[in-house]
Amino acid sequence: MSGLDFEISQRPDFAIVSVQLQPGQSVFSEPAAMASMTPSLKMKAGLKGGLKKALGRMFAGESMIVNTFTAESQPGEVVFAPGIPGDLMHYRLDNNSIFLQRGAFLAHSEGLEMSAKWGGAKGFFSGHGLVLLKAQGTGDLFFNSFGAILEIDVTDDYVVDTGYIVAFEDTLDYKVVVLPGSRPAKTIKNFLFGGEGLVCKFSGQGKVWIQTRYIHPLLSWVYPFRPVQSKN
Amino acid sequence: MQYEILARPATAVAKLTLESNESITCEVGAMIAMSTGISVETTSGMKGASGGFFKGLKRMFSGENFFLNHFTANQPDQTLIIGPTMLGDIVHHDLRGGSLVIQGSSWLASDVGIKIDATWQGFGKAIFSGEGLFWVKATGEGSIFLNSFGAIYEVDVDGEYIVDTGHIVAFEDTLQFKIVKAGASLIGSFLGGEGLVCKFHGTGKLYCQSHNPPNFGKLLGPKLKPR
Repeated sequence: MSGLDFEISQRPDFAIVSVQLQPGQSVFSEPAAMASMTPSLKMKAGLKGGLKKALGRMFAGESMIVNTFTAESQPGEVVFAPGIPGDLMHYRLDNNSIFLQRGAFLAHSEGLEMSAKWGGAKGFFSGHGLVLLKAQGTGDLFFNSFGAILEIDVTDDYVVDTGYIVAFEDTLDYKVVVLPGSRPAKTIKNFLFGGEGLVCKFSGQGKVWIQTRYIHPLLSWVYPFRPVQSKN
Repeated sequence: MQYEILARPATAVAKLTLESNESITCEVGAMIAMSTGISVETTSGMKGASGGFFKGLKRMFSGENFFLNHFTANQPDQTLIIGPTMLGDIVHHDLRGGSLVIQGSSWLASDVGIKIDATWQGFGKAIFSGEGLFWVKATGEGSIFLNSFGAIYEVDVDGEYIVDTGHIVAFEDTLQFKIVKAGASLIGSFLGGEGLVCKFHGTGKLYCQSHNPPNFGKLLGPKLKPR
């Protein structure tokens, strides 16, 4: 199956992707991702993959609804933009699977199946929910982040602060650990005072995508500027 | 140590490559990702030094963390990616003797040989400069990484130069500044939205940031629901 004809532009701060569809081709996106499109395309909202898959997506921090854009008799173009300003990546799956952090999914082509994957208790401490989104099959996937996305080729071991993981290939093993220090006593000190806390340790061979910022520090920074509700 | 600054200017990060036994001291929480051949040590003072309690306390008042993280490579060719949490840019400053005076939250990392200390700039500046009460003073030789809110631009000051409060990132200590009013009259200065400004004099390098965090916060805050 040939890949989608697409182009990503405006990286890394306001990345968008435009997809060219030939008659008979479809592309699927999260709700509200469509920024513009030619009128030749048909848009349909639905619970793709049935209720069970839809619920799974919900638990993985995504919407239950998936929008389908189809070129029927005419070719057409659709432009997708994530709801949050930031970067966007394309990944081509070839009968393999990839895990996405909560909210990272933007759009995918035909041939891919999205499902929820229980991250295990090891996902628990990362503050990003227990459930990862898993994409598998053969096709094109687009995912987005707040901040720029950096691609890292892991050949041995690699450590990433849990807040900064966007996606990773399933060939990698992952484990949430306390940032390793030089001595056991140091490890505890790093954890309590070092501010790095829990990190995700990847091992094996594969790719990890990280984001250069995450949104929570910005939100906590803006919080004190909110007006205070009057008591009376 | 090799470095590369990526994703400039909005969400910049510094990608450092450390060889065996090379170290870098970072702000707490700056580590985003790294190879596993790096060990981390948390202290309240310089690497390997003890009794940095008061240094830590002073640093805390300057808007930095009480603790510092020292990253040391114990294998060749190790990668460390660091970045601030707020939106903005990173610049590298090569310190060759002398000192660099850095606005409280703009210090991101520096070579382990550089001494990081808090410095008091006097009451007037503490209250009116739009920056923190204390500043970070970096002394020694090596690399320093600074971060900003918004983009960073560099000004080579020779003589006098005026910067609005809240826009200073760092300056070489061959420069001094005082707080003055922006216009000829005090009322005119405030009506013009500039109020008080920082007037530098001397010869040296000055780093400014394009945006002023409290101003941005004051614009956003009223648009949000009361807490």
